Amino acid sequence: MAGAARTSSGGFRRWMERYPFLPALLILAVLLALNGFYQPRSVSLVGITGLVKTYLALMLLAVAQTYVVYAGDIDLSVGAIVSLVNCVIVVLMQYMGGTAFSALGAIGVGLAVGLACGLVNGLLVATFRLQAIVATFATSIFFTGIALYILPVAGLPAPAAFWRTYGGRFLDIPFVFYVAVVLAVILWAMARTRLVMRLLAVGDDAQRAFQSGLPVTAIRVRGYVMTGLFSALAAFCVTGDTASGDPLVGGKMTLYSVAAVVLGGTALSGGYGTVVGSVFGALIIGLINSLVYFVGTPSEWQNLVQGLAILIALMAGVVVGRRARA
Amino acid sequence: MSKLKLSGVSKAYGATLALRRGDLEVEAGEVHVLIGSNGSGKSTLCKIAAGSVRPDAGEITLDGRPVHISGPQGARALGIGIFYQELSLAAHRTVEENICLTNLPLKAGLFIDRQALSARAARYIALFDGVAGDGFAADATVGDLRADQRQLVEIMKALATEAPILIFDEPTSALDSAQVERFFDILRGLKAEGRAMVFISHRMDEIFSIGDRVTVIRDGETVATSRIADTDQATVIGQMVGEPPARAAQAAPAASAAEEAAGEPVLSVRGLTGPGYSDISFEVRRGEIVGFGGLHGQGQSSVLRAIFGAHPVSAGEVTLKGERLDARSPRAAILHGAAYVSGDRSRDGIIQGRPIIENLTPIHYLRQRLVLARPAALREKARPAVEALHTRFAGYSHPINSLSGGNQQKIVIARWLIDRPDVLLLDDPTKGVDLSAKNDLFSLIRKLAAEGLGIVLYSSEDAELLANADRILVFNGGQVTRELAGDERTRFNLYRAAYEAA
Repeated sequence: MAGAARTSSGGFRRWMERYPFLPALLILAVLLALNGFYQPRSVSLVGITGLVKTYLALMLLAVAQTYVVYAGDIDLSVGAIVSLVNCVIVVLMQYMGGTAFSALGAIGVGLAVGLACGLVNGLLVATFRLQAIVATFATSIFFTGIALYILPVAGLPAPAAFWRTYGGRFLDIPFVFYVAVVLAVILWAMARTRLVMRLLAVGDDAQRAFQSGLPVTAIRVRGYVMTGLFSALAAFCVTGDTASGDPLVGGKMTLYSVAAVVLGGTALSGGYGTVVGSVFGALIIGLINSLVYFVGTPSEWQNLVQGLAILIALMAGVVVGRRARA
Repeated sequence: MSKLKLSGVSKAYGATLALRRGDLEVEAGEVHVLIGSNGSGKSTLCKIAAGSVRPDAGEITLDGRPVHISGPQGARALGIGIFYQELSLAAHRTVEENICLTNLPLKAGLFIDRQALSARAARYIALFDGVAGDGFAADATVGDLRADQRQLVEIMKALATEAPILIFDEPTSALDSAQVERFFDILRGLKAEGRAMVFISHRMDEIFSIGDRVTVIRDGETVATSRIADTDQATVIGQMVGEPPARAAQAAPAASAAEEAAGEPVLSVRGLTGPGYSDISFEVRRGEIVGFGGLHGQGQSSVLRAIFGAHPVSAGEVTLKGERLDARSPRAAILHGAAYVSGDRSRDGIIQGRPIIENLTPIHYLRQRLVLARPAALREKARPAVEALHTRFAGYSHPINSLSGGNQQKIVIARWLIDRPDVLLLDDPTKGVDLSAKNDLFSLIRKLAAEGLGIVLYSSEDAELLANADRILVFNGGQVTRELAGDERTRFNLYRAAYEAA
C-alpha cells in the first residue's frame, strides 16, 4: 500500500519533471478566465488575435532566451538584437522600394544579422569566457549603437505590404495564427534535436559535460546563435505589429523575456526547462498587462499593479511546483 | 604487447603537485588495479589518460605509438572510455539519455533517434537487471536516483562507449555486494573479449578478486607494479604506506574493551518508523560503538538521518540524555547535542568552494549562537580538533576543494569536535577515503567512545564494522533482523544475517 502511494506521488513528480510548464499553464488558464470575466470580448477571436499579434514578438524572444538559459547562460542583448534587426529591415525595404520581393530579401538579411549578433555573443561568452551577464549587456549597448547609426530617429514607416500581411487574414484566418502554427512545429522539431539535449546537458554541469566528451564551447556558441536567430524572428513580428522602424524598440523587452522564461518553469541555472513554458510565460505577461487595463486601474497605478501581478504569478508557480515535487 | 602506456607523466595545479611521476602500463585482456591513498594522484593519472586533464610532462603511447590526447573527445576517438569517481551525469536527464549522451544516435543528422537511443541504452541497463534496485528505469531522472544507482548509470555510460580501453575510477564505492558481483562478472566478460581495464578501489577483497596486476602509487609517484598472484595484501599496504609489511598490516585493536566500561544510556530509540524503515528500537550507552550492518540501502542511512531530523518519521520516539529529542530539523538535533557525518561529502558535508575555516566552524556558530567572531580565535578553537585527526592542509583560508577526499572528510568530522556532542551518528563515513585516513578516523572514533560519546556507525564495509563496533545491528528490508554482540561478531554471521530474507 505504501508502495502504491509512493508510485502515484512519484508519477505526479515525473509529470512535473517532464512538463515543467504545468504551473504556468494553470496560471495562464486563471488569467484567461479573469480576462474573460472583466472583458468578455477579450476572449473572442478578435481579442485573442490582438493578443497573439501583440505578444508574438515577446513569445519568440522568450523562446530565444530559453536556448541560452538551457545551457546556464543568459543573453541580455536579445532586445537590442530586435532593435537592430527592426532598423535594418525597415531601412532596407525602404531602400529597395517596398515591394514584396524587398520584404523577402529583408527577412533574409534580418536573419543573417540575428545570426551574426548571436555568433558575436557566443564567441565572447563561450570562447573568450567573459561573464555572460556583463558581456551581453555590453553587446546590447553595442548593437543598439549600430541600430542608432542605421536609423537615428524612430518613425520610419515599414512598407504597407509588410504590416498588412502581418495584421491581415489569409483564407479568413488571421495571418498570425499561421505564424503561431509554424512556430509550434519548429519548436516541436527543435526540442528533438541533438543541440537542445546537449545544451541541457551543458547547463546541468558544464564540467561533467566536458568530461563526457561533449564539445562544450561549440555547444554554447550554437546556443547563442539560436538565440540570435529567434531574436530576429521576434524583430519581424515587432516590425509587423508597429509598422515602423525604432532603434530602441526592443530594449525594454529583454528582461521581460527573462521573466517569461522563469515564469515558464525553466531553471535559470540551466539544465531544466521547456520552450513551451517560455511561450506560456510570455502570454502570462501579456494577459497580466491586458487584465490591468480591463480592470480599470488608473494609469498612474498600472506599473505598480503590473509588477505585483507578475510577482504573484511567480509565487504561484513556485508554490504549485513545490506542491508537486513534495 | 602493451596497449596503453603512460610514462613519467606529471601534473601540477599551481604550487600543488598532484602527480609527480606517474607510470602505468595496461595490456589488452587484463584488469589492472591502481591503488594508493587518497590524494596520491590516482584520479589525476586516470584523467590524463582520459584527456580531461592535460599533463605538464610525460609520454603516452598507444599500441607502441606515441599519441597526443587533445581532450575527452580525443580520448574517446582513440578508444579510451572512463568512469569518473565524481560521476559525469546530467542530473535532469533520464538514465537512457545519460548512457548515450556522449554519442547520441541521430536521424537526418539533426534529430535524436529516440528508438535507437532506447534500444542502445536498454542493452547496458539489462546488464544490471535485478540488482539495480527500486525506481531504476530507463526513463527515470538521474537526479532522483540513489547514489548506488547513479553509480550504475555512470558504469553503463562508460560501457556504452564500447572503448577497447576502459578506466574505472572507484566504480564500486556506493555499490552493495550483489551489484559489485554483477559488475565483476561484466568485467570478466570484457576481459575475455580482450579489452584493457584500469580499476581503482579501496576495498582490498575486491582488488584481489578481480585484478590481474596491481600498480601502487604513493605521493604522486608510481611505486611498483606486480602480478596479483605474486603479492599479498600486507605487501600492497606496505607499498602504499611506504613501510615494511609487518608494521602496516597490524590489525585494528580489539574493540570489545569498551564493552564492560560502557556507562548509562545516552541515546535510546523506541519503535522508530518512517519511509524506508520500521519499528527500529535500540539503545546506545556512553562509550559504546553500535554498528549498523547489512546490505546497502536497507534503511541504515534513513534511520540515522531520521534521528538527526533530516528524514521523515511517522512513529516512535528518540530520547537523548533522558530527554525527548524527536528532532524536526538537523538544527534542533545539533542544539540537543547530536552530530551526523555522512559519507556523501559533497551533498551533506563540505561547503563547496569555501575556505577550510568556514567548513570547520558552522556547528560552533550554531551551538554557541555566535553572531560575530574573530577568525584568529576561531582558528585557535579549531586547531585541537584538526590536529587530533592528522589533517594535512596548507592553510585555513584555502578552499576545501583543494583537499583530497579523505582530508575533506576529516575537516567535516573536526567541525563536530569543537563543541563535544553527546552522540555521533556516522553514515558510512569512510566512503572513498583512503586506507591511512581510515585508520586515523577509526582510532579517533574509538578514542571519542572511550571519552564517553555514544557512537552509531553505519559502514558498507563489513571489515570496519567487525573491527570497531561493540554490537552490530543487521538491517534487512528496513528492519533490524539480527543483533550480533561479543563472539557472534564474525564475518560469517554478518553475511548470513544480511542475506537472509526479511
